[in-house]
Formats: sequence, structure tokens, C-alpha cells
Amino acid sequence: MSRRTDLLRYLGARLALAPLMLWLISTLVFLLLRVAPGDPIDAILGPKAPAAARVALRQQLGLDQPLPIQYGRFLGDLLHGNLGVSQNSKEPVLTIIRDSLPASLELGFVALLIAAVLGLAVGFSGIARPEGRVDLAGRLFGIGTYALPPFWAAMVVQLVFAVWLGWLPVGGRLPATVLPPEGTGFYLFDSLRAGNGRQLLGTLRHLVLPASTLGLLLSGIFTNALRLNLRRALGSDYVEAARSRGLSESRVVLHHALPNALLPVLTITGITIASLIGGALLIEVTYSWPGIASRLQEAIAQRDYPLVQGIVVVVAALVVMVTVVVDLLVALLDPRIRF
Amino acid sequence: MVALLAASLTACAPPRPEGRLIVASKSRIDSLDPVQASRSGQMQVLSALGDPLYAMAADGRLEPRLATALPQLSADGLRARIPLRRGVLFHDGSRFDAAAMVFSLRRFMAIGTLGYQLADRVKAVRASGTHEIELELKAPFSPLTRLLSAIALTPVSPTAYRQHGDKPLNGRFVGTGPYRLSFFSGQQQRLTPFQGYWGPRPANGGIDLVTLSNSTALFGALRSGEVDVLLANGLEIDHQQALHRDAAAGHLHEGSGPPLSIGFFSLLTDQPPLNNPTVRNALARSLDRRTISERVSLGMRPPLRQLVPPSLSGSEPDAWPAYDPVTARRLFRQAGYCNGRPLRLPLTFRSDIPSDRLLALTWQAQVRRDLGDCLALEVSGMESTTAYDQLGKGALTLFFYDWIGDYPDAENFLVPLLGCSKVKGGRCAEGNSALSGSFWSAPGLEAELQRSSRIGGSERQTLLRAIQRRTAAGVPYLPVWLMVEKAWSGPGISPPRFDGSGRLQLERLQRLAPPLEQARSGMSRPAPAPRRSAPAAAAAAGSASDRFATVPSSSPEVHR
Repeated sequence: MSRRTDLLRYLGARLALAPLMLWLISTLVFLLLRVAPGDPIDAILGPKAPAAARVALRQQLGLDQPLPIQYGRFLGDLLHGNLGVSQNSKEPVLTIIRDSLPASLELGFVALLIAAVLGLAVGFSGIARPEGRVDLAGRLFGIGTYALPPFWAAMVVQLVFAVWLGWLPVGGRLPATVLPPEGTGFYLFDSLRAGNGRQLLGTLRHLVLPASTLGLLLSGIFTNALRLNLRRALGSDYVEAARSRGLSESRVVLHHALPNALLPVLTITGITIASLIGGALLIEVTYSWPGIASRLQEAIAQRDYPLVQGIVVVVAALVVMVTVVVDLLVALLDPRIRF
Repeated sequence: MVALLAASLTACAPPRPEGRLIVASKSRIDSLDPVQASRSGQMQVLSALGDPLYAMAADGRLEPRLATALPQLSADGLRARIPLRRGVLFHDGSRFDAAAMVFSLRRFMAIGTLGYQLADRVKAVRASGTHEIELELKAPFSPLTRLLSAIALTPVSPTAYRQHGDKPLNGRFVGTGPYRLSFFSGQQQRLTPFQGYWGPRPANGGIDLVTLSNSTALFGALRSGEVDVLLANGLEIDHQQALHRDAAAGHLHEGSGPPLSIGFFSLLTDQPPLNNPTVRNALARSLDRRTISERVSLGMRPPLRQLVPPSLSGSEPDAWPAYDPVTARRLFRQAGYCNGRPLRLPLTFRSDIPSDRLLALTWQAQVRRDLGDCLALEVSGMESTTAYDQLGKGALTLFFYDWIGDYPDAENFLVPLLGCSKVKGGRCAEGNSALSGSFWSAPGLEAELQRSSRIGGSERQTLLRAIQRRTAAGVPYLPVWLMVEKAWSGPGISPPRFDGSGRLQLERLQRLAPPLEQARSGMSRPAPAPRRSAPAAAAAAGSASDRFATVPSSSPEVHR
């Protein structure tokens, strides 16, 4: 059977499994929320609302129904693409996700860009002299950034650059005096499209600290991955063969070793993207970034069942999509991979 | 890298529009529809966008706002007629009248999150004239005017809300207040002065309200000059204390609202060991409020020995026993504890509120020091929503939390804690007392509570005080401290002032005129760094006593 057929079969299997995976995840979330202690009525009305008001709200939210009925309704709505309405704000869950997911994706994308550029540059820098000073510094950088507690690092960066030096804002996505651009919710893209310099600069200023912090924390993964894989590739037979053919060292590294060393990095990138889709909670909370992770945290605290379920399902669907795409990319780039 | 990016973008900070002010708080706002309002952040914004029928002035006096006089009650106390102000416009240009007020009140009762507050007391609302409404009450209710001062009852334009009679309208607000809402998102609200406002114009050119999700960010934003005013809501105690010190040194302005929130322990009185009144009384004398207030709140939350805040009429000062370890030991002994047999008592605090944890640990340490052989507190945390659920199920022996009345009246502190609709075997089986985790009741107490809402004047105050004394003797709760809403403003901004309902008066905030020397040198506003420009700003702000005053009440804006 040809490789192309194998690939298509693999893709088909992954896509066929996706709905099953989403059903399992949504069912698990539905059940866990109901099993977890805490009552949405307390979160909405407070603990001292009269019994009649509590009963009325419970009926209004459909929480008085038996669990199988609630579950059936949830699944039915989900199949029709209806994620329901937030119990707290009465806003459609899809609208809330549409408002907050782009914020997380924008932050994640810029952070990933910073992490990749910084991490790969540091990882690559020590290759000329393994175990030399630069290589050692790169190794320390990789371990150090990976080991930094995100909340602490974010707070220190915030204190230094926003509070003490006052160079950049402490949080949020835009200055309070600038209104958000209309459009997709990706402010960089929207402000560029609108040609609004004030919005663009405001967005950039607010992105610098959270994206740099997150990028810095993620860069160690790229540094270590590239460093290790590049060293392994440089010691392999095909590299030795290339050297013995008289190719220059730079050509050996750039054309023979690096492409192979980057394949595992691509997989790591995919996993990182998947983890960033759900937002970076600690960064979002520290920098008051109105992303999906902080929204999910609030929803859990308020026992907002439809909102928690909706966010988890959408994020899970995106993660499944990203992992499929990354797997396919790796398969396309590496002919050794079999399915 | 961050420094490089920061340096290149520092010069690109957008200019601040003249006259507009930025106010920050931790409260994310999901909706500004009054029917959805249940959190203090929502109420704060609504107080600038809408008008209630009556308002509490800073000195606690009740003043007509959209009403023109206090309600006229029928002889049986079951009908209240309220004359309404003429010439008032909604933000959409439509006229405010009795029909609009009736529409808003009916809508609130039908779909309001807190609609039960009105619906439990009011049978019907109708227009008795073009500018007069009549409320038909289910029973005489003496705190009616105070109830009607709740900002969630602010009228909305029937024209704008016609399609939303039975569902909330999030993201918009069309009311009658001094500001109109010109932009809304959960994290940012823009308020613009309403040109057609019937009362005095706001002193500023508009307010931008922003949400910052953690205490460090809020604190840093004011310190760095990024925001002009900061509300204490969500600010950790040590940050509050640092800002308080800055204000005391003249670098910032501090304003305090009336103390309308109490922190207290709820005691599970229907199960051992706290079903024993002697143990409860011993526990009441084991609490060193002063130490706790100083160690935990750094003195910012004054000790409290009553359930009704002292600023409200009908409060009974120091009704609960004072800290007295000698008597406490004697009572514990009387109950069979001490001398190698300490009472082990589980104490639960809300784990998501840092000061609660500190309070629990401090009391635990204080008890170990003073009454170690008689009492051992076993401290554990529980997330708020879970704890509230467990509280009403009788699962928490000793639990610390807080309560703020929805409207400033003693009844709103007593009924939510003591009300009981069903007493069984001397225990409250159903009602607020059960929901509050104490399950405590006393013979005739419910009748007294109901009577207190029917009568008025000094007779009512006497009864309210008697109810508190009875409660203090039964010790179903242990008041610990009083919480005060605070706000701080930067050096070039007027001191924050609160109304009698504990809302920051956004319309009174303004940039102060630059000091003379700055004006001569052409500076239009003080430098953002608080410490550098503080003396000049202090001079512009007026005397120290004025800067740190709670809330002066003589301003013409308050007495509309």
C-alpha cells in the first residue's frame, strides 16, 4: 500500500475518533461538575437567599431535573452546536468563548514565536563548541527557564517593568482610554486591518510583558530539544558520511543535521501549541489578560456548568485538531514514519 | 529582551484624554442590566449610570432622588404612594415617568437575580398618576424607603428594554444617571457624562473603569500612575496597608465608605459540642478581636461585637462578650473540658480569601497561647462556593465568612442571619438561620423579627437592640470585625468620596488644579509618580483632615 494511502487512512482514523474523544471529554466534564461539591445557586444568589428564590432559580436553570435529563439535553444541544447559556451572565457560551479565546490564542502565538526564536537561537549557539562556555550557558538557560515558577517569574517581571520602572502597563489587553478594534478579537490583526496606529501600539505595549514572560518560560523547552537532537544528529552516520565527502561543517550542520534535529522540535511545538490553546492561566491571571483560561477559572469558581462544559469542549476540539495537523506535518516531513 | 521591547514601546504610550479618569477594581462585570446585578462591582457601576428612588447620603440620611418625597403610607401600612421627579430623561432621550418606573420594578421582581427582595414584600406595583406610583405591600414594612434605595431598583428605559422584558440585556444600560454607558466589555466600561442629566453635571469628563485581576496588578497600577483611582475591592490587606501609609504620608488620597460589611463566625448550634450554650459562651470569650484585627488586618478592620454595623440605627454596641480568657476557662471547665481534656473544634475558613486564612491561623495561635489546655482549634480551608453549600447542610462546626446588607438597614443584617421559617424542637429547620449554618432559634424570635419590620421609630430601634442582645446571649454567631470599603486616588486627583450605601461617587472625582508653581511653569498635570509629586498634590487637595475624612456630606452634589 502506498504511503499516501497510509496517510489518508491514518487521517481518517484520527478524524473518526475525534467525535468519540469529544463525547468522552464532555461526558466526563458534565459528570465531574455535578459530582464536585458546591452549588451554582449559592454562587449566583449567595448563601442567604430565601428558599423560594433558590427553588425558582434552580427550576429556571433546569438544575431541578434528574441528571439523565440534564445530560440528554446537554448532549442534544451539543450535537446542534449549541453550547448553552452562561448561568451567571445569561450570555451565550459561544459568545463568551468567541470573546476570550482570541485573547489566549494571540498571547500564545506571540509567546510561541518569542520562545521558538529565543530557544532555538540559544540551543543552536553552543553547537560550534560542545561543552564550551556558550554551550554551558545555553544548557543553564534551558534548565533555568524551564524551572522558573511561572507565577513568580510573571510577578517579578511585572513588578520591575510595570511598577518600578513604569515602562509598560501592568495588565489588560489595551489601555483604558483606547477602545478595542472591531473584528476577529485578535487585536494585532484587527488594528492592523483597521490601520489604527493607536490600537496597534496599545496592543503591542500590553502584549510585551505577558508574551515575553510566557515566551521566556517556554524557550527552555526549545533550547534543550534542539541542543540534544542536534548533538545526536551530528554524531550520526549520515553526518559522518557527509563530512567524509568533504562538505563544509556549516553545510553539514545546516543542510544535514539541522533538518533532522528540527523534527522532534516540531512535535514539541505541536504539544506546546495544544497546551497554549487552553490559555496560560497563571500568566493570564498575573497580567489580567482576559483569556479563556482565566474565564474558565472564574466559571469553575462560580459553578457555571454550561460555561465550563462549553470551554472544555471547544478547547478539546481545537487540541485534537492541532495534534492531528502536527502529526500529519511530521509524517509528511519525515519519510521514515510509518502508520 | 523585555527591556529592549519595553524601551522601544515606552515612548509610544497613548496620551490620556483631558478630564477623563481611569478607575480600577478587581470586579469583572458580566452584565449591567439591573436585573442581573448582585455583585458589588455591578452595583458600583450602576450607581453612576442610574438613579435610585431614594439615596443614602454619606451621613446616613435618606434623600429622595428620583422620588420627590418620602412614601406616603396608607393607614394600614399596606399601600405606599411615591411621587416621582418630573423632567427626567433616560439616556435614549425618552421621558422618565410612572409607567417607566412601574415597568422597571415589575421587570426586576419578575426576572431579577435579587428580585425576591422586592417580590417578597410587594404584592403589586401600579402607576397612580403620570408621575406617581403606588406599591401594594404584602405586609407593613417599615424599612421600605431604605429598600427602595437599592441601586438595583434603578429604572431603565421601557423603550430600550421593550424586547427584554423577560430576559436580561447584557452589555447595555439605558437609565437616568449622570453618566451614560458608551462602551461595555467585561474588563472595561466607558462612562460618558450624560448631557441631559437632571442633576448636577459630573465633575470630570468621563470615567474609564478597568478590571485588573490580581492585587499586585491593582496596587502597581496606582503606584505607577497607570490608573487614577483604585477601589479596595479585591486588594490584599498588605497592599491596602501600604496604600494607607502612602495616604498618611500625603502621597495619595484615601477615602472610606460607611462600614456596612461584617466578618463573623457561624457556630453550628444544633450538634455537639456547640449545642451547649456554655461552650458557645466560652468560645465567645476566647476571641481576642483586637489582636486579630491588628495582626491580620493591620488595624484596618476594627473589632466588632455586634451584628448590626454601628453606623445603622438599631445597632446595639458591644452586645457580644469581650475577650475574657479567665471567664472562658471557667466556662470550659464547667462544660467538662480543660485539664488535659481540651475541646477540639474544627474551624473552617474560605481558602480563596487570604485574610480568612490568616484570621483562622491567628485565632488558633492565640487560643493555643491563652487557653491551650481547654481549646484546640483544628483549622482547615474550603473553597467559598463549596463552603456555602456545606454550610446550609450543617457540615461546618465553626465557619468564618462575611455579610454585606443589600440595603443599609439593621433588618438586612438580622433577618438574613436569624430568620427562620420552620422551627423544630427548638432548632431552626428551614430559613436563613439554617442557611447561615447556625440553625439557631429562640422562642418568639421570628415573631419579633417580623414585628420589627412592621413598626418604626424608637419602638423599632428598641426592639432591634433587644433582638441583638438575645442573639448575643445565645451566641449562634461571633462577630469579629467590621469591613470598610476604601478607595485611593493619585496625587493629582480629588480624594475619593463614598455615599451612604458604600458606593464610590464617581461623579465627584476630578483632576485637581495644578499648584501655582506648576501652573506658572506651564505644567498641566502633576507627574504620575506618586512620591515625587505628592507634596504639591497634597497642597492642592486641601487640608490633611479633609483628605483623610471618611465622607464629608456637605457637598451640593449629594443633596440633590
